[in-house]
Amino acid sequence: MWKRSLPILILLAIVVAAPLVLRRDSEVAAAGQGDDKLVIITPHNDSIRAEFGEAFAEHWKERTGRTIHVDWRAPGGGGEIRKLVNGAFEAAEDLGKKGTEFDVFFGGGTKDFIGQANLGHLAPLTVFDDEPQWFRDDRVPATFSGETYYDPDHYWVGVCVSQFGIVYNKDAIRWIDEVPPQRWEDLGDPSYFGRLALADPTKSSSVTQAFEMLIQEQMQLVIAEQGDSPEARAEGWKKGLNLLQRLGANARYFTDSASKIPHDVALGDAAAGTCIDFYGRSFEDSVRGSNGVSRLKWISPIGGTSVSVDSIAVFRGAPNMEIAQEFVRFCLTERGQLLWNLKPGVEGGPRSRSLRRLPVRLDMYTPDRLKNFTDPDALPFERAGSFVYQPELTGKAFDALRVIFRAMCMDPHDELKDAWRSAAIEGKGSLEVLQDVEVISYDRVMNELLPILDGDDPLESARLLTEISKHFRDQYQRVARGEGGAS
Amino acid sequence: MKRSNAIGVTVVVSLLFLVFFIYPALSVVGEAFRTPEGGFTLGFVVEVFRNPVYVEGLWNALLLGVVSTLVTLAIAFPLALISHRYDFFGRKILGALILVPLVLPPFVGAIGLTHILSVTGSLNAGLIEMGLMDPDHRIDWLAEGRFWGIVVMNALHLYPILYMNIVASLAQLDPAMEQAAENLGCSPSRRLFRITLPLAMPGIFAGGSIVFIWSFTELGVPLVFNYSRVAPVQVFHGIKDLGGNPAPYALVSVILLISALVFGLTKYFFGRGSSVTQPRPKGRNAEKKLTGLTSLGCSMIFAGVFLVASIPHAGVILLSLSEDWYDSVMPLVLTLDHFQEALGDPLVVPSIENSLIYASVATLISVVIGVAIAWVVVRSDIRGRSLMDALVMLPLAVPGLVMAFGYLALSREGKPLHFLIGPGGSPALLLIVAYAVRRLPYVVRAAVAGLQQSNPAMEEAARSLGANPMRTLRRVSLPLIGANLVAGGILAFAFSMLEVSDSLILAQQAEHFPITKAIYTLLSTLGNGHELAAALGVWAMVFLGIAIVGAAGIGGKKGGLFKM
Repeated sequence: MWKRSLPILILLAIVVAAPLVLRRDSEVAAAGQGDDKLVIITPHNDSIRAEFGEAFAEHWKERTGRTIHVDWRAPGGGGEIRKLVNGAFEAAEDLGKKGTEFDVFFGGGTKDFIGQANLGHLAPLTVFDDEPQWFRDDRVPATFSGETYYDPDHYWVGVCVSQFGIVYNKDAIRWIDEVPPQRWEDLGDPSYFGRLALADPTKSSSVTQAFEMLIQEQMQLVIAEQGDSPEARAEGWKKGLNLLQRLGANARYFTDSASKIPHDVALGDAAAGTCIDFYGRSFEDSVRGSNGVSRLKWISPIGGTSVSVDSIAVFRGAPNMEIAQEFVRFCLTERGQLLWNLKPGVEGGPRSRSLRRLPVRLDMYTPDRLKNFTDPDALPFERAGSFVYQPELTGKAFDALRVIFRAMCMDPHDELKDAWRSAAIEGKGSLEVLQDVEVISYDRVMNELLPILDGDDPLESARLLTEISKHFRDQYQRVARGEGGAS
Repeated sequence: MKRSNAIGVTVVVSLLFLVFFIYPALSVVGEAFRTPEGGFTLGFVVEVFRNPVYVEGLWNALLLGVVSTLVTLAIAFPLALISHRYDFFGRKILGALILVPLVLPPFVGAIGLTHILSVTGSLNAGLIEMGLMDPDHRIDWLAEGRFWGIVVMNALHLYPILYMNIVASLAQLDPAMEQAAENLGCSPSRRLFRITLPLAMPGIFAGGSIVFIWSFTELGVPLVFNYSRVAPVQVFHGIKDLGGNPAPYALVSVILLISALVFGLTKYFFGRGSSVTQPRPKGRNAEKKLTGLTSLGCSMIFAGVFLVASIPHAGVILLSLSEDWYDSVMPLVLTLDHFQEALGDPLVVPSIENSLIYASVATLISVVIGVAIAWVVVRSDIRGRSLMDALVMLPLAVPGLVMAFGYLALSREGKPLHFLIGPGGSPALLLIVAYAVRRLPYVVRAAVAGLQQSNPAMEEAARSLGANPMRTLRRVSLPLIGANLVAGGILAFAFSMLEVSDSLILAQQAEHFPITKAIYTLLSTLGNGHELAAALGVWAMVFLGIAIVGAAGIGGKKGGLFKM
């Protein structure tokens, strides 16, 4: 028995030994071994967690002489974090406790932070009193391009900025006989049919926000032309929804995986896709050939995209409140800010790879600093364009927008694709019928649907979703059959 | 089995099952039956059937389940039969190698496959090189071959489950039955359908029911093919929806009901223990030793299945070694950098240690409880044992995320399952319980099949000769079903090592991560995350591969792993 087992055991020992031999050292203390501890819940990727963990451990040691164990909790995206945090607070409240095991909420769209603040889960940030000089229009502005950069009640603050944009594969664009896309509308061309990778707004508030911008852009264009009136708003809303509908019709899928889209575009499965800037830039670099040319390109589309922030907050009753507040302060110091984009290896930069994100502080974009940036040309504040988000136009419908998009594009996706093929590619079905969005008109959504979708009765909300989704499914099936078409 | 013992075992097992499966599952799925005021409603279930998209999703899932099971059977049964009847060149090693689909790591398995089937993947690159495809008009395999693509992938991934169960079943048969038929002039095909197939039915049912429920509720493969109109994908998207509407949980309850119903019906028609035979007398063996071309032919069939089933693995291995793999059959530049970076990550060593502990203990628990349940189902006559048999299959059908959120909510401080959280917030016990519950069906099915085929007269003889129940179990019953237990145990261990949902949600602190969460974490590394995850995935494949082939080498006696 042993004679037969020995070779297998030796082989297994070799396989297990490989990671032991290759294991790297870390500044961050191991679990249970640091003098201090900080628990951070985050949707940020592993690279950001690793670099910020190392940098803060160093900072903490310099400041206090103590070691720290940074305990990262990364359960997934915004949806998972919300479930986890809300569940933890419910359990804590049942036990009469003020806080949970979590200290800091790091990363995610503004809406996620507003949601937590509204639930009373966040503590006021002391950085606003400790470093008031940072919160000026030439450093961290209160708003930019219509986006809020920090909470007026000081429960959260943005620490880095990002833009939602388009990533495309130059080869695949050639295969579909297209020119590189410049605007969101370009992706609605039927030549992208089945070749567009779309982010899923139902699982990410950042993506919902990007889609909201897309509608806003159309509304603002009509309003600029006709003046602000209910009719102009309704027409702009319809144009925005129709654009989303065309994107949905071209989509090969809707995904909540941040890396799937640039990955599939890099492979050419999709010719183009929607993508956040830092993922786009990272993938663009990772497939750059030895001649310095990359087949992948990320662009910030002309028009409807704003510069939004990823924020940070401290939880109410955080077990390590003082350290948590210091972590927030660290993220806004020059060192914390530059970490987002400095090249690896330069002083104050990341250890192993650039994080490809951009600092929120405007005073970081100086020539002497930019020369060490990985993306010195990104300049989000200079290139933001003239688009300004106007919350009064669509802000109220933010949550409803997810349901609308799902009912219009995602649930009846197969039927939408068939209808689009029939109407826009084969010229059989009626495009006008396909693009009839009267059932979710601006007026109906704002006055009739919002009270149900934002109401307390999930069953009524589910029924409404079914009703709208069935309506579009029937509509698309009629178009696919060629009803109302030219021929 | 004494009635009092059977009742005792049933009560204990039922309690465990109630606390660790039904309670967590209901705590989540129950949301779909509650009104905002706290009352009971079937409104969400009605909504599932009112929504044509959900109804179509259920039909598609059912169709995928049935077709995948039939295709899987078409692969596994001939292999098992060849392995049972003939001794051919390389049988032992090939019999272990065809279990290779069991070691495909999650996430990266899908990415590896994408690199093969993408428009710029190996397959198209090969066809273009051979002049069979125009480079400007490529086939989009992932978009165009969705249904059959999923069926083929399911079959290639799941055939080992059926194969192991059928081989274990066939190993129990007395070859005299087939020989008698042959001597009486029965043709080979008639012998197959009238003798072998009916006698192997417990194994086919054991594996087939798992394969059906697995394919019916499969999430990963449809996601790779972007096939969203299928119930499990709809549940997955619904659960993650920021809107938080409980409608997807109603869909989960419908899926559970259908799974139990299909299991009950197939068991009624095919799975009843009608094939109890005299156990195969030791030394009596009908194996034919093949030589020459026939022997080589059998080897080629096994090698062929192994090669086709290894395509996703090859994708993962090549991806882990590639700098940028694009539009070529193989990566043009190979590197070991990803291995150095991935295996050097501080997460990796503890995650390996954790996974080994979690998976081993979970497998042990599954085997102990699984045998107890199988015993009651097959050897007792107490009422409700069939219900227990059906219930025990349901962990396979509940989406991983549902169970994970259930465990999470109930293990918080002040909640009933908080005792499973160890010092420092360690979720070790919680994960072990979660893995064990979800892997229980593999062991139960294997053990039930084994017990159905082993003759109770052997146990009765032992008892009448004075052996106590424990001694009977240890010396007679367990050895008789040993092959089945090894098959069930291997499945339980491999799938515990590669478990995803519970691992992602319940292991929150880095020091408690199992290996799947380490792979998932590496996946989010900027730039080369896919390659890093593939590198750690390759490590996991190699480890599990050696362990399984090793088990075949160490545990198997003459004729292979499942012939004890």
